[in-house]
Amino acid sequence: MGGKEDRGEVARFMEALANQRLTLERLRKRITRRLAILVNSCVHCGLCSDSCHYYLAENSNRFIPAFRTDRLSSLFRRYHTWLGRRIPFWVGAKGVEELSIKELTDAVFGECSMCGRCAINCSVGLDIGFLIREARKILAELDQVPGGLQSTVDKAVTTGNNMAITEEELIGTLQWLEEELQQEVADRRAKIPLNKVGARVLYTLNPREPKFFPLSIIAIAKIFYAADEDWTISSTNFDATNYAYYSGDDQAARTIAGRLVEETERLGARILAVTECGHAYRSLRWEAPNWLGKRFDFQVKSILELIADYIRQGRIRLDSSIHSAPVTLHDPCNLVRYGGVMEVQRYILRKAVSNFVEMHPNRERNYCCGGGGGLLSMSEYAELRLKAGKAKAEQIRRTGAKVVAAPCHNCIDQLMELNKKYKLGIETKTIGEIVADALILPSRRVNSAIESASKKG
Amino acid sequence: MPFMEFEGKKVEVNEEGFLLRPEDWSEELAKMLAEAEGIDELTEDHWKVINYIRQYYLDHDIAPMVRLLCKETGFPLRYIYQLFTSGPARGACKLAGLPKPDGCV
Repeated sequence: MGGKEDRGEVARFMEALANQRLTLERLRKRITRRLAILVNSCVHCGLCSDSCHYYLAENSNRFIPAFRTDRLSSLFRRYHTWLGRRIPFWVGAKGVEELSIKELTDAVFGECSMCGRCAINCSVGLDIGFLIREARKILAELDQVPGGLQSTVDKAVTTGNNMAITEEELIGTLQWLEEELQQEVADRRAKIPLNKVGARVLYTLNPREPKFFPLSIIAIAKIFYAADEDWTISSTNFDATNYAYYSGDDQAARTIAGRLVEETERLGARILAVTECGHAYRSLRWEAPNWLGKRFDFQVKSILELIADYIRQGRIRLDSSIHSAPVTLHDPCNLVRYGGVMEVQRYILRKAVSNFVEMHPNRERNYCCGGGGGLLSMSEYAELRLKAGKAKAEQIRRTGAKVVAAPCHNCIDQLMELNKKYKLGIETKTIGEIVADALILPSRRVNSAIESASKKG
Repeated sequence: MPFMEFEGKKVEVNEEGFLLRPEDWSEELAKMLAEAEGIDELTEDHWKVINYIRQYYLDHDIAPMVRLLCKETGFPLRYIYQLFTSGPARGACKLAGLPKPDGCV
């Protein structure tokens, strides 16, 4: 990024011209029906304005989703409609020459988290998040993806995970966690099985867990242990994330998702279980079959769906009195609004904590934390990202809860930052961590939870 | 690019306060970064973490796994999170003068 800025005016002008030409070429390619409907259907009713967390925080017209859509639509209309090609001004169609690449990049990468809240508030049902990703695809082809996001994608493609963790480092970390787990449950048989062929469940991670925040891995391992699950982690294909979904690079997205699919098939697992990560769930559950053009012979499930099953089937028992302080729940956009995983987390929390309070609005109407869309990896938009988290911060404050359950590692990082900026005084936890602390382990095994519960009782 | 004023010089940082050039780092600068992080005083334990991360980065060009950090400093994981409330990446790595790590942090 820095290098580009050092170049001279002339070079930059030439580059801009070249980019315009390339953008035109991309735009001339066949436009899909879904996109054609999208760019022609906005009736400018304005219902979407209040739905956007950027608009709520900044109150400026350029953050109204319809306005954003209009600018992008004008670009598509200019080259894809009969009138647009002949009398552009008649249909309000703008050419790329009128819209700088920088402006476009900021608009689609920095000023929208693709949370989709505008889509459910749209009177004609337009998925503006989809339009934004189509625009990101064009910019990805033009090499305009912001540096931090691009380098996260590159690391995943070249090293197999987005933090360049080596196999040796992962194994070392999982062995260390296994020892911690064995101490915690006082049972040497508690394991974190690696590369086990024929295991029922292949569990996947967000690389930030082994790298910096491994408590969530111990928590899930403890739950699997209590449920007596037959599970495993792959030491080479463990990364559930897919930042190429955010960068708009379908080729890389296909490569990244394809590896996990192949690994699940190779190990013969029946369930590919996704860690608490919104976009990873969405990518693997809903996008990957399209990217790869095939149906999977296994199921893709959020770890939350498995935990809820264990509770329902009586495979794990929980003592909710461990968590007596109010706990609220954040709904990650890609898991809930786009992913459809909506009720299991509520079912789990009602069993695991004794005072669960909803924030409002919730479920598919919940506000984005502000950190979605790959924004955490793009430092250049950090200030706006934290401002845009205002709606979420206020939502949390109104609940009075000091613990926020957030089933998405990305959201947790943003919530930690919102906690500082807005002085919320909260603690954010994964649902796995909350459940693990409330576990009542089978009586044949010693368990600290039972001990502390009996002390209370 | 944004910058920090430090001892009369301009030190380039990114929009989140991570140093752009790790060689700009010094102990005095770390103290200034700590203030921005809301850490009033860097204790001996803070320094133990910072120095280990810094040395590891100079040797390997990447931040260490948190397992190594715990092993080499002898600190339990939860204590590391108490020392650096923004976490090992946004907290400790930033103070050790590393560029922002890639990924979901």
